[in-house]
Amino acid sequence: MPNCNTTCPYCGVGCGVTAQLAGGQVSGVLGDGDHPANAGRLCVKGTALAETLGDEGRLLHPVLAGHRVSWQAAIAALGSKLQEARERHGPDAIAFYLSGQLLTEDYYVANKLMKGFLGSGNVDTNSRLCMSSAVAAHKRAFGEDVVPCTYADVEDCDLLVMVGSNAAWTHPVVYQRIEAAKQANPGKRIVVIDPRRTASCDLADLHLQLLPGTDAFLFAGLLRHLANNGALDRAFIDAHTSGLDAALDAAGNLDAAGVAQVTGLDAQEVATFYDWFTATERTVSMFSQGVKQSATGTDKCNAVINCHLATGRIGRPGMGPFSITGQPNAMGGREVGGLSNQLAAHMDYDPADVDRVARFWGATDMAAGPGLKAVDLFQAAADGHIKFLWIMATNPAVSLPDSALVRRALARCEFVVVSDCTAQTDTAAFADLLLPAAPWGEKDGTVTNSERVISRQRQLVPALGEARPDWLIVTQVARALGLGEHFDYRGPEAIFREHAALSAFENNGSRAFDIGALAQLDDAQYAALAPVRWPLPASGPAIEPFCDGRFFTADGRARIVAVQPQAPAPGEGMTINTGRFRDQWHTMTRTGRVPRLSQHRDFFSISLNPSDAAQLGLAEGDLVEVGNAQGVVRGLATLDPGIARGQSFVPIHWSGQFTAAGGASNLIPAITDPYSGQPQSKFAHASIAPCAVASWGLLFSREPLVMELAYWSRIAVSGGYLTLLADTAAPATVYAQLARELGADCERAGYEDSVGGDWREVGRRGDTLHYALFLNRSRDALPERGWMTGLGSETPAAGEWHQLLAGFSAERESAGKLVCSCWEVGETQIARAIEAGADSVETLGAALRCGTQCGSCIPELRQLLDQAREDCAA
Amino acid sequence: MRRKLVIVGAGMAAAYVLQELAQLEHDLDVTVIGDETEACYNRVLLSNVLAGENSEADLAMLEPAMLEPAMPETDSPETDSPGTVQFVTGTRVSAIDTDARTARCADGSEHPFDALVFATGAGVARPGVDCSGIIGVEVFRTLRDARELRALPARGRRALVVGAGLLGLEAAHGLNELGFDTRVLHRNPVIMNRQLDTEGGAQLQRDLEARGIHFDLGVQIAGVAADDNGRLCGVTLDNGERLPADLLLFATGITPNIELAAQAGIATARGIRVDERLRTSAPGVYALGECSQFGEHCFGLVAPIREQAAVLAAQLAGVQHPPFCLQDYPTQLKISGVEIYRAGELDDAAEQLVLRGNGVYRRLVLRDNRLVGAVLVGDKRGGTWYSELISGGGEIGALRAGLIFGRDVSEALAAA
Repeated sequence: MPNCNTTCPYCGVGCGVTAQLAGGQVSGVLGDGDHPANAGRLCVKGTALAETLGDEGRLLHPVLAGHRVSWQAAIAALGSKLQEARERHGPDAIAFYLSGQLLTEDYYVANKLMKGFLGSGNVDTNSRLCMSSAVAAHKRAFGEDVVPCTYADVEDCDLLVMVGSNAAWTHPVVYQRIEAAKQANPGKRIVVIDPRRTASCDLADLHLQLLPGTDAFLFAGLLRHLANNGALDRAFIDAHTSGLDAALDAAGNLDAAGVAQVTGLDAQEVATFYDWFTATERTVSMFSQGVKQSATGTDKCNAVINCHLATGRIGRPGMGPFSITGQPNAMGGREVGGLSNQLAAHMDYDPADVDRVARFWGATDMAAGPGLKAVDLFQAAADGHIKFLWIMATNPAVSLPDSALVRRALARCEFVVVSDCTAQTDTAAFADLLLPAAPWGEKDGTVTNSERVISRQRQLVPALGEARPDWLIVTQVARALGLGEHFDYRGPEAIFREHAALSAFENNGSRAFDIGALAQLDDAQYAALAPVRWPLPASGPAIEPFCDGRFFTADGRARIVAVQPQAPAPGEGMTINTGRFRDQWHTMTRTGRVPRLSQHRDFFSISLNPSDAAQLGLAEGDLVEVGNAQGVVRGLATLDPGIARGQSFVPIHWSGQFTAAGGASNLIPAITDPYSGQPQSKFAHASIAPCAVASWGLLFSREPLVMELAYWSRIAVSGGYLTLLADTAAPATVYAQLARELGADCERAGYEDSVGGDWREVGRRGDTLHYALFLNRSRDALPERGWMTGLGSETPAAGEWHQLLAGFSAERESAGKLVCSCWEVGETQIARAIEAGADSVETLGAALRCGTQCGSCIPELRQLLDQAREDCAA
Repeated sequence: MRRKLVIVGAGMAAAYVLQELAQLEHDLDVTVIGDETEACYNRVLLSNVLAGENSEADLAMLEPAMLEPAMPETDSPETDSPGTVQFVTGTRVSAIDTDARTARCADGSEHPFDALVFATGAGVARPGVDCSGIIGVEVFRTLRDARELRALPARGRRALVVGAGLLGLEAAHGLNELGFDTRVLHRNPVIMNRQLDTEGGAQLQRDLEARGIHFDLGVQIAGVAADDNGRLCGVTLDNGERLPADLLLFATGITPNIELAAQAGIATARGIRVDERLRTSAPGVYALGECSQFGEHCFGLVAPIREQAAVLAAQLAGVQHPPFCLQDYPTQLKISGVEIYRAGELDDAAEQLVLRGNGVYRRLVLRDNRLVGAVLVGDKRGGTWYSELISGGGEIGALRAGLIFGRDVSEALAAA
């Protein structure tokens, strides 16, 4: 079988991948050397894609009210419930909540159905959570949501400012390109602006570890500094912008010292950054969730963009403000109009736009105006105003702020439909109707990445079970509603052509988003479509946006937006920050299945500064509870000197499927940006306290288990799962509770030391170990994790099963904490290689292969090398 | 001038004394007198012979040459030459005159002695029910018993063993292997209750049941029934139940053979009283093994008897040796392939470490951070180490986490 090129479904970098097919299966995934985003590179998540396929945990059949039903019955039920809610309560009582994981074609038909034929603007998407502040800022500044940069600019610039971005972990391939560019051009400077010292600081010439939420002061101060030092591009400002004076007024007299005071930075550091920015023409400011997920995210984005407009550093190679998106098709969703305040194809609810789109679609019931944004949408559901909600490809019970509110909303809404590829998610638990959606590799369509490149995602294997692509489900519902003639597509190619045609419809250069050149693709051309960057008008040259100084406002001028910087409201306790880990994706529904992706960071943990930990009496690995008025999370304390004092970092990936109380959103109040509606997901106040733990446990099991305990956290391991657990009850009590759930039909062997608080049990079915449970008062007394991880393939001789209860095997030596996920190289191995003389990332790579594939562990390898040097010197 | 030593009884105790003497310089010419035809065989393995798992040749405890008929009696002038050993088998000593220092045998022969050792062993305790003269009521104590039992037709016939101690279970295993439909009756609800605890007994019982042996526990025999030909046909239990049987074997404990000593005016209680040098109340007369009683203690297992033999041999040879003292002798057995080990005290009120499952039961008892008892069924690895820990009395400390898995695991975990 030939290889097949497609696109990675994870982050917004949108890397091309080559799937190796063998025997009707995807046997491996490599970077596509011809794709402009990655040119063959791939991160560890992408490399492990083949391991996320298969039927483990998959939703394979429609399920109505807990019972498997036929597709016909499912579509009929959906149609009648939708119709009923709409007729009885009006179009505003129905809503779709979509996702940046959907393909453009899926997005397009869902958006068209709701906004053109059901009369409601209530289509929003989880992209609201990750980049809507960038959309709002782009529209305020440029008149249209246009990203003016490409990855090549990030390479070509002489100064790269990374604002609220830990690209080393969240956009690893872009980070690798930066790293390579810096190696090739040692004069290239990198400034990282982040309240945490992250892996991305590894490359930084300057890390500005500012107070959370104070970025706008830094950039307002920079604008003032540029003005005061004659660094403004007056010609560009006069010809192509408006609003500078008001923006400078708003910035006031912020100088480096004033900025230092409010941001908590050293004035000299601020001055250095300002000097570098002032002096460097080719500057790219790459900004991401760190500034967008804020109550003032739109202003922060504009504060960054302002500095580029005021210096004319936009629309030319190697410069510009560059918003990097989180999801694989957040951009495609924006192009389609999948946000509730958009209509379609970069047109909003301007009456002329509504009329134009209605004519194009032949709409029978156009939405009259914008619908509800995500947080408001779920608030409305909680208040009883939304009666029918269809959620596609996203897990709002975990990802939206104020999880308690979201759960109330899902519980109250009369009919909740969830289309997903995963059977058990925190959101699916609330569904009245579950629809099996075809995931990556089983469906066909297009996605757009952060640099406006449209790429094909191609079907590699047949859909499992009864799974169907989302576009097909939506059009079948449209047919059930009597709208078949408007949704009569033979396949995604027909939808894409219509989408392209709409982008060009009565455009004439008025909208940057124009892919009219693709409206005439025949099926074969669509099938073979190579990655292309928009704009792609049907006629005339395809020019990079803003290279001619023309913007998409009514007067063609960009706006320098007056930004009044605001610090977050003060509050009690620690400041909570949230974010991603290197090897996980979103709520782990796919990456959580891959053993090697759970080794870099394993059990749900909360990071804090070692001095704060000492003050709280916390040691590494102790159980902590973080709580506020919204809710609580419980995790293991990770002591990280990269976290500033008074702050704490909670990773976003953990749902109720993987840990007891882990959703970072439990702590996040539903505070949103006034322009974008994007929630302030990276900022909350909460108290943090040690949890008294009477029992610790490690459980290897063949099946995933959800337990009623103060803490448990599960990872996939070879042949099963490994769960770390802790509780306030004594081991005997925890054992009694777990013994009921474990081991039906198992032959058991157990060990108990009730006075010592030491309980162990193994259960086997025939020659196969089914589970192994170790409980102890002390975590240190539990078996080594590496030993537990190998239990999936453990088959003792018949008389030796009880020896497993020793929780120990002299033969196996642990590789230590996994550093390189690609080649599965652990700390112990690396330490040994360093002892044996490896003294650089390259020599380590030569010896162990670590860091030689995706490269995302290189910062850690450097750290280990530095540590070893310090230890040597000490 | 060489001295004459007479050992009365040619069982395992006698064999151990001979083994020990062979290691020492002495001036003793030894005469061993036994009433069985075979002398000094390993009685512990008899049940294996019954089961067909060992041959009779496997029972030998002494060099074959040692057992050959005695050389013509010649007084050897040199006292440093090795002493002779003469076996007189198939006859019983009928009387001992401690003043005249002679032992008279049933066959009329007389054996003068300078020193005499009682190694008369023990007999099967007499059942509390009248079954005299009934054909099919057997005992299992000697090689001859084993031969006779092996000669019986077994298939389709029902054997009842009374007593689920070591001897009863071993006999039951043997009979079961021979093809008898075998059932064990026991007064206590727990088998081997002297050595094991309730759970250990239950584990062993499960193992034996898996091999086809049946159990009736917490019952006693009330009566034995025979047919008109005087042949056994069944028993009645104290709960009224009747069990048919073709063979009835009593293994309800042992009784020390003390009559001969008592007749000779030597102090006896349950057994022949000995001191820490194995001396009886008569000068130059000693006793060891199952027939002896030290303080309140009688003996049934091999380990203390070996220790007695060492003390006694030294005493006889005039060599320095620490006196005999009671130790906690661990019980190490193998019943029907199931390993059993027991040491120390099984104090239910102390701290317990328990491993169960996979056909294994292991329990360690700790008090004040010290190991005081151990019972192991199905896997007795680490037993010797536990004995050392129990008698050494050292603190367990970090060894605790892996203690029940034996020395290697325990020490490795403690070091980690």
